[in-house]
Amino acid sequence: MMLSLNDLLTGFLDTLTGHLALAAYLLAVTDERAVWRRLKKLPPLLLSPLIAVLLSVGLYAVPELIMFQYYILSFIILMIVTFWVRWAWQFRFWQAFAATCMAAIFQVAESTLSRVLFWETLPNESSPLAAALAIYLSISIAVSLLLYRLRFGKWFRLLLDNTSEIRRIALLLFTLEAVMEVSFRLVYGIQTQFLAFFYLLIAVMVILMAMLVIYFAQRFDALRKIKAQQNIIARQRLYEQDLEMIRRETRAFRHDYKNLLAGLSQQAATGELEGLRHTLARLDAGFDLRLGNKIRASVQIGNLQIPEVRSLLLNKLTVMRKEGVECRLEVLYPVTAVDMDIWDFVRCLGILTDNAMEAASDTKQPWVEILMLAQDRRVFLRISNPYANLIEPGKMWNDGWSTKGAGRGMGLSGYQHILKNYPNASPCTSWENGVFVQELTVEDRR
Amino acid sequence: MIGIYLCDDEDVIRRQIQTALERKIFMENYDMEVVCAAAGAQELLDAVENGKQGVYFLDVELKDGEWDGFLLGRELRRQDPHGTLVYITGHEDLAWRTFQYHLEAFDYIVKEPEQIGPSVSRCLEEIHTRLIAERQSPTERFTLRTDEMTRHIPLRDILFFETASAPHHIFLHTPGSRMDFLGSLNELETRLGNQFIRTHRAYLVAADKIEAVDWKHNKLWAGGHECLLSRAGKAKLRKIMGEKP
Repeated sequence: MMLSLNDLLTGFLDTLTGHLALAAYLLAVTDERAVWRRLKKLPPLLLSPLIAVLLSVGLYAVPELIMFQYYILSFIILMIVTFWVRWAWQFRFWQAFAATCMAAIFQVAESTLSRVLFWETLPNESSPLAAALAIYLSISIAVSLLLYRLRFGKWFRLLLDNTSEIRRIALLLFTLEAVMEVSFRLVYGIQTQFLAFFYLLIAVMVILMAMLVIYFAQRFDALRKIKAQQNIIARQRLYEQDLEMIRRETRAFRHDYKNLLAGLSQQAATGELEGLRHTLARLDAGFDLRLGNKIRASVQIGNLQIPEVRSLLLNKLTVMRKEGVECRLEVLYPVTAVDMDIWDFVRCLGILTDNAMEAASDTKQPWVEILMLAQDRRVFLRISNPYANLIEPGKMWNDGWSTKGAGRGMGLSGYQHILKNYPNASPCTSWENGVFVQELTVEDRR
Repeated sequence: MIGIYLCDDEDVIRRQIQTALERKIFMENYDMEVVCAAAGAQELLDAVENGKQGVYFLDVELKDGEWDGFLLGRELRRQDPHGTLVYITGHEDLAWRTFQYHLEAFDYIVKEPEQIGPSVSRCLEEIHTRLIAERQSPTERFTLRTDEMTRHIPLRDILFFETASAPHHIFLHTPGSRMDFLGSLNELETRLGNQFIRTHRAYLVAADKIEAVDWKHNKLWAGGHECLLSRAGKAKLRKIMGEKP
């Protein structure tokens, strides 16, 4: 069998269309908002069809592989696209692989369905190739838009963020994808009178797969919430222990206080003015040291009335105390609500405190200061810390920037990514006199 | 003359502070006067003259209906954006940083019977020095107002404005910060006049902060940041550069 140039061109255009459809589905399954930014990275992907066509020519030369030629090619394309996604989305490998498999399931299902359609309506395949490809591509875009509307990507993203199980999810999706590919090849073996059933089968299968993914995502979400709840309970217990400690200290202090008073009255009786002053100073210092600081901290924490936020900050305060980072927390008025998804807010808070802690620990006298103020339907957050490294203003907000070198600061771009969905949130950043400050104001939208 | 206003609900403390203030003013011959020593927030607010720059000594733990020290300070800031706020507190553990950042409070004084007089006079001296310094070199400020949160940024610190990725959000860049606020570049362009050049649809750059221009690749640099340059921006920039040789 010889391949003509025309066949090659047709093959190239066909694969190219497949890749474009795949890209459209990828955008949909990852719930991508910055579509243009991703599309800017599209050109390198266009090399993939070229590689595929060249490889298929090569594979023709090995007759034993003819049976598997399609599968081998599909797998290679899948891997190429995975690496492209890894680069364009800044995903980890398994995340990229899972996303690619998911998008491929949709794309292969569509190919199968459209092939059935074309055969039914255009039996002699005389329709111009360009028209068929255009129709194919527009169906992909339409289905992608539908997926956007159905918020499929939002659920799928949740699964992708589940780092502990991403490998299993990716392998499961890969299996499903392989099943889809096999069904796609089966079309050639189906007799015409059964094609309608086959069409139905494929449609049902792809819908089932999508529902399976959503089901997993929902189960994962529920699990995460339960875990968070348990975490909150644990933190609450820690807080209560702190209160208990204050109570015990008060009792002990009362005892000392009585002793000191006894000493005082004796000193007063004998007229020892210097000794009197000294004992009084000890009394004052003793209170501050043993109780004052603790009471202060617990009042501030008591004003944090969002359990998730309190739990996170308690956790961070404990870590900072352990690491020897001095921490000051001020919450002047009770904070009862923030007009953001509370988990998103907690994630922002976590990123900012972690960054502050890490940067501060490079300095000689590490400290972190956290202020929260709820006033007039807005919540204001300010986190500051000293830093020792060089700051490059032009690069700071790029993916992966950090004072510790490139690739370490995934946090700050993640923070920006979260805030993109909240027009009511205004972040400010400043770095002056060796102090780095992150501020965030969240207005109430209601 | 600069008016001094005092608000504390403890009579003894209030009298102590007032005496200390008056003595210091007399001794140093400051151009200042204690205009009002009030026991409640409303009394103080009634006495405050709108639009005049004053110095305020306020009790943090003030309890007067809805008012507390923070809210009173905020109301005073609204009426007198450039006034000086000093807080008086019974405990050293007040949320002082919060007062500093949100009210630009100048200092605080701890109510300790023996210390309060010297603390007050030392504080007044510092305020006086600062006010004199400010009068000698007033700085033109850009007032960034997002509803009630107001920040004053010296105009000479601003490098450029840039549209943020979220709609209607603008980034303001200075050598040491980036702030996000709601606004529009068109409005800013008309408000700020010709000290700032609209080099691109998304950039409004301070003319004297431009460090380098890359005409070929449509870029320019201000404070180490890369800004974009459009065709119209180039024409504007060329014109300005042509004007000043």
